Amino acid sequence: MGEKVTFAVAAIGALGFGTGVVFFRDAFRAAVSLIGTLLSVALLFIVLLAPFAAAVQVIVYAGAIVVMFLFVIAYLGERGEVTTPDRLDRWQVIGWLGVIGLGAFGAVAVLDSSSAPADAAPATTDVGTPASIGDAFLSDHLLAFEVTSLILLVAAVGAVILARSAVQGAGGR
Amino acid sequence: MATALAWIVLVVPLISGIVLAGWPGEPPHAVTRLLGIGSILISFALSVAVFIGLLGNAADDRSFTSSAFEWISIAGTDVDLSILVDPLSVMMMLIITGVGFLIHLYSAEYMEHDRDYRRFFASMNLFVFSMLLLVLAGNFFFLIVGWAFVGLASYLLIGFWYERPTAVAAAKKAFVINVIGDVGLVLAAFLILRELGTLDYGEAFAGASGLGANSGTVLAICLLLFVGAAAKSAQVPLHTWLPDAMEGPTPVSALIHAATMVTAGVYLIVRCHAFFDLSWLAGDIVAVVGAITLLMAATVALQQVDIKRVLAWSTVSQVGYMIMAVGLGAYASGMFMLMAHAFYKAALFLAAGVVIHALHDEQSLDRMGGLRKYLRVAYFGMGAGCLAIAGVPGFAGFFAKDDVLASALNGGAIGVFCWVVGILGAFLTALYMFRLLFRAFFGPEPAGGYQPAPHPSRWWMSVPVVVLGILSIVGGWLQLPFGWTEISDWLLPVTGEGPAILEPTHATEVVTIIVSVVMALGGIGLAWWLFGADPERRIRLAAIARGPRAVMDDAWRFDEAYDDVFVEPGREMADVMLTRVEPAGPQGIITGTVAFVRGAARLVRSSQSGMVRAYAFWMVLGIALAGIVAALIAAGGS
Amino acid sequence: MNVPIEAYLMLSLALLALGLVGVMRRRNPLMLLLSVELMLNAGNVSLIGFSRLWDDPSGQVFALVVMVVAAAEVVIGLGLVVAIFRSRTRLDVDEMSSMRG
Repeated sequence: MGEKVTFAVAAIGALGFGTGVVFFRDAFRAAVSLIGTLLSVALLFIVLLAPFAAAVQVIVYAGAIVVMFLFVIAYLGERGEVTTPDRLDRWQVIGWLGVIGLGAFGAVAVLDSSSAPADAAPATTDVGTPASIGDAFLSDHLLAFEVTSLILLVAAVGAVILARSAVQGAGGR
Repeated sequence: MATALAWIVLVVPLISGIVLAGWPGEPPHAVTRLLGIGSILISFALSVAVFIGLLGNAADDRSFTSSAFEWISIAGTDVDLSILVDPLSVMMMLIITGVGFLIHLYSAEYMEHDRDYRRFFASMNLFVFSMLLLVLAGNFFFLIVGWAFVGLASYLLIGFWYERPTAVAAAKKAFVINVIGDVGLVLAAFLILRELGTLDYGEAFAGASGLGANSGTVLAICLLLFVGAAAKSAQVPLHTWLPDAMEGPTPVSALIHAATMVTAGVYLIVRCHAFFDLSWLAGDIVAVVGAITLLMAATVALQQVDIKRVLAWSTVSQVGYMIMAVGLGAYASGMFMLMAHAFYKAALFLAAGVVIHALHDEQSLDRMGGLRKYLRVAYFGMGAGCLAIAGVPGFAGFFAKDDVLASALNGGAIGVFCWVVGILGAFLTALYMFRLLFRAFFGPEPAGGYQPAPHPSRWWMSVPVVVLGILSIVGGWLQLPFGWTEISDWLLPVTGEGPAILEPTHATEVVTIIVSVVMALGGIGLAWWLFGADPERRIRLAAIARGPRAVMDDAWRFDEAYDDVFVEPGREMADVMLTRVEPAGPQGIITGTVAFVRGAARLVRSSQSGMVRAYAFWMVLGIALAGIVAALIAAGGS
Repeated sequence: MNVPIEAYLMLSLALLALGLVGVMRRRNPLMLLLSVELMLNAGNVSLIGFSRLWDDPSGQVFALVVMVVAAAEVVIGLGLVVAIFRSRTRLDVDEMSSMRG
């Protein structure tokens, strides 16, 4: 029962804050709203017995990434959304069609699934512990692990280069 | 021992040619002479040594093969880089290096003022090497290599003065026709390889009889070999390149287009006589082609005004005699004539070269006359050569030609036909050669005299002319009628004896000598009456027989016929291809492809708006479509 | 597992749709990136849900990988936004169309 309540709270929170992310005109508010979504999702992770993932979600996402967003928003300053007519207005129809199609697809797929061993899984499990995740990373998913580290390296180097060119473009050293 | 020396003979001109070719810049003339002439002298000396070495052996112990290394070994067929030293190849070696040395010596002065002195000697040495490779090769493979190299060297030397468009055109013509011959020779080698499984001379000739006398295979081999021989030796209908080849420097004409290269066909047939002995039809075809060539070329030579072209057509005619002889099976007579011809034709060309040099590149007989006062050496060389080629008793040409004709008379109906043609040819030969002699060296000087006076040659040019002049007298004494047959005896181990081999007999010799001497003297007499005694008579008689003479003047219009049959249709076809087929076909395919790709690209490009959100729309649409389809499938399935 | 997996998946789907709408509606590049984060989170919810369903750590492992990729993407994306828009007055992705074909 408690699980269902928690799920309901978290789901409503995620969707509500998510709506805020999408529809707030002000970028700063949207970013703060994203924090709410992320925390709600972290709550879901805990319900799903994935405490480590939840912790990472809070620390990396809510902590690091959103903070970076806020930095950039503050750096670029207040430059309200443009008011010129949207050249892609005609395409919005396609977008909505897409969303509807996707929704139909998802609904059909979800409602059609009958093989979920919903009650088979034990209430307590150790798949979410750091130990088991670390074990999985270094045994079954070593390649993914290495690729991940490589992606991080590339991202770091790329960020440095972008920053350099930005500094030079602004007349700095 | 003999083979080791022969290897050196072969390699020395190659080395000096490479050194000269690779020399940076233009070396001093002394260095070029030392390398270019010295190498040929070494080759000649060693050839003589080989010859003396073979003389010391018994007649049946004069054939040696030597293999440097195995070149190709596949499927049971071995091709060695090997040479064959036997009486035939030694005879050719002596002619090539001996006459070649004299002509190189002559070139030292003749080419003195040319800015490409080094290139000339490098090419000449390359030619001597190629020709030696041709005659020394121990199998068909290297025969073809030498054969092709000779064609290349000939091309380089005909086109030596490459600033002249005519020289370049002549070089191309010679090369193309020579390649036709190369193809024939290569096909013959393929056929031999297929039928006999070997390219080695010894094995091929030994196995030839296994193919069966007069079989189609032997006939095919012989005719393909003859295509090669006819192209190299300028026989009808592949003779048209030789007169044009006179665009090259005169020493080149003397060495390549008179003494050595054009006789390669004769050598080839003698070398491959094992095949020709087996097929009387092939032999007769060769002989008839030779006979036609000798008569046709002699008539053309009558009309030429360019001094070198007279000699060129005379060469075609004389080589026709040799081809006729070897076609009939008179191999020794053919080789004897080859040797004698090398002497007297080289003498004639070199004497003509002296005249041309003295008159500052004047080649027309119309602007010559009375030269004997100025150019004693050339007069001697030209006179000796003319007497020899006309067949005046005592000179080399007399013995050689009579040997050929006396042998031919024993050759059945075809032989008699050839004899008649040969006798007619002898008359014409005497006529056109003495026409040249009388018009150039006798009679009045051209109007206005010589400005400046012709200058006599120095010793570089004089010595070869004199030596070759003497050789055209004494060179024939190696083989005299009625029993003194040094050449035949020397070549006996190669040619062998058999029903297919023709030799003169006493009766035929007597008949031939009487008739041919009458013909030769008649020809000389007619030439004197027409051109020597009264120079005005030629002009008075100019109106006679204009039509036939025009045909002869145009060399029986072979070039025109080739133009009409091959060149023009080819050009028209190319024109149609270019204007009709090509734009629609290959070019159309290409432009069509380009237009299609460009159009498709324009279509696809419009989707690349550069707007990230538009891409997102497309992506969403795709996912949605996939989702709808999946939903429908799921709905239908459940 | 008292809440059925279908509920998680429907939530995931709803979040994804929200993100998509954001990507398509907003012209501010920062908002675009935020919406993408939303979509990535939707994916993560599904992954962790399946991990719970099958009692297998692989789902969590991939959720972590997705987070890392998201972090890298944000770093580069924000770097680009800063580099491009520091000199312009308006924040409009539609102006970033110099790669038009």
